[in-house]
Amino acid sequence: MNSLLKKNLKSAFKGLQIEIPEKDRLIISAKKDTVLPILRFLKDTGYEHLALVSCVDWIEEKEFELIYILSAYMQKDSEYTDREKTNITLKTRISRENPDFFTVIPVFETAEPYEREIHELYGIHFEGHPRQVPLLLERNYKIPPFRKDFDTREYVKEVFDNIPFVEGRAGEE
Amino acid sequence: MRELELYFGPQHLGMVGNFSITLKVEGDRILEATSNPGYLHRGFEKLMELRKWIQNFPMVCRINVVEPDSMEMVYSMAVEKLAGIEVPERAQYIRSIYLELARVSSHLFGLWAYANMLGFDTVAQWAMYHRDLVLDLFEELTGGRVYHIYIWPGGVRRDFPQDFKDKIVNTLHSIGGCVPDYDATFFNNRIFYQRSKGIGKVTREEAKEMGATGQVLRATGMKYDIRKVEPYAAYDQVPWDVPTREDGDAYSRVWVIRDEMIESVHMIFKLLDKIPQGEVYNKVPNPFKWNIPKGEAYVRCESSRGELGLYLVSNGEDKPYRVHFRTPSYPHGLTILEKALKNESIADVGNIMISLYVVAPEIDR
Repeated sequence: MNSLLKKNLKSAFKGLQIEIPEKDRLIISAKKDTVLPILRFLKDTGYEHLALVSCVDWIEEKEFELIYILSAYMQKDSEYTDREKTNITLKTRISRENPDFFTVIPVFETAEPYEREIHELYGIHFEGHPRQVPLLLERNYKIPPFRKDFDTREYVKEVFDNIPFVEGRAGEE
Repeated sequence: MRELELYFGPQHLGMVGNFSITLKVEGDRILEATSNPGYLHRGFEKLMELRKWIQNFPMVCRINVVEPDSMEMVYSMAVEKLAGIEVPERAQYIRSIYLELARVSSHLFGLWAYANMLGFDTVAQWAMYHRDLVLDLFEELTGGRVYHIYIWPGGVRRDFPQDFKDKIVNTLHSIGGCVPDYDATFFNNRIFYQRSKGIGKVTREEAKEMGATGQVLRATGMKYDIRKVEPYAAYDQVPWDVPTREDGDAYSRVWVIRDEMIESVHMIFKLLDKIPQGEVYNKVPNPFKWNIPKGEAYVRCESSRGELGLYLVSNGEDKPYRVHFRTPSYPHGLTILEKALKNESIADVGNIMISLYVVAPEIDR
């Protein structure tokens, strides 16, 4: 089942690396510009549930890795097959210096808040995203806070150690 | 008529939890809704990168305040998968029983929120009381009432205490005995029917397009449940059914929640009958010197709200390299809610939000 999908993917797209680490998992590593066609291909094949869009900061390799996790909804209302068990991980790497990518909203509408979050936490710009405005945070950060070079402890020291005492309280004690 | 912008939450009587929605209204109709999460963003996923594998448990369970147990489960599953740890059979059964108890308590909490919002204060009080009875069970089993940290890589922390089986059965019987009361006062009540029928409708196609799972999808007739799709713990050991409804509105969703609670109780009885003897814990290495091999894993389980997933990356060190939770409320609260609120009335905002089962801490993490 999964080996058939692997074969189909290999024949449709050149230069893909596909691993099957265990029975129900498939890991595809793709080039930046093939991500959208692959997602569309997988959606048409029936993997129409985009469960997660995630990002990993590989700081030593100077790259960001974007991860799309797909699975399938059931075709019949009460029949469970091996197809829904499969989780597909699609990975692609982009350079850390120039973190530009494009949105996948035309294929998967659910990607909208995920991309918004990644834009905020990692500073990746998604071309064509309709509202790249902050989702969770309220402060402005010098470095997007989920990057590996953001030092949490230093940030806490900088921000919260500088909050002055409530007026008069220090004098009373 | 004039268009107005209206802030619904976080300080609003109709809002349950730290969440807010900006509404653009014309008269009583909603033209556009925008979800604003982030009031409870604690950056747990970043903080977890700074702590050892075991030290992360107290944080993991605080991601979803209402139902911490499936969070523990999904994190344990991911760590077990990366480290290659086996779980004894008895522990699998205990995990299932424990997670179903958690599901019942979480649904009772949800019923409290929903009934309270619709003005059924009596039902809300009953649900809260019955949830407390389940929390008593948790207290005896784990020592904690709300946050338990009971599931552990390699099994569960301790076996059932003496006579605990009987206590579970007694408690569930006393809750189950009130189901006719709940039905008469709430689920079969004309007022509930009229307040929720046809409200916040999400069709099958929309639900699939927007990444719905859990009740939102099951209320449209699809028996999509990770416990069946990709069974974990002991869910494939006993027969049970996935309750569904057809209409996809608030009424159907709340009925799915009710039926699920009853199905969970039956499942607990079946699991208790079949539970084998044996160890509940496989030893893991010293947590402070525990390096997990390099790799990545995506695991998922069914929380009381839908598909709960975890993408975990290990760098071969004693701390996780990247943690990302896929929480069910995330698409429900940010994508579906915005769509479902369009053209509804202001009075139904809370109704739709709670029937979609959105819980804010899970979105913010």
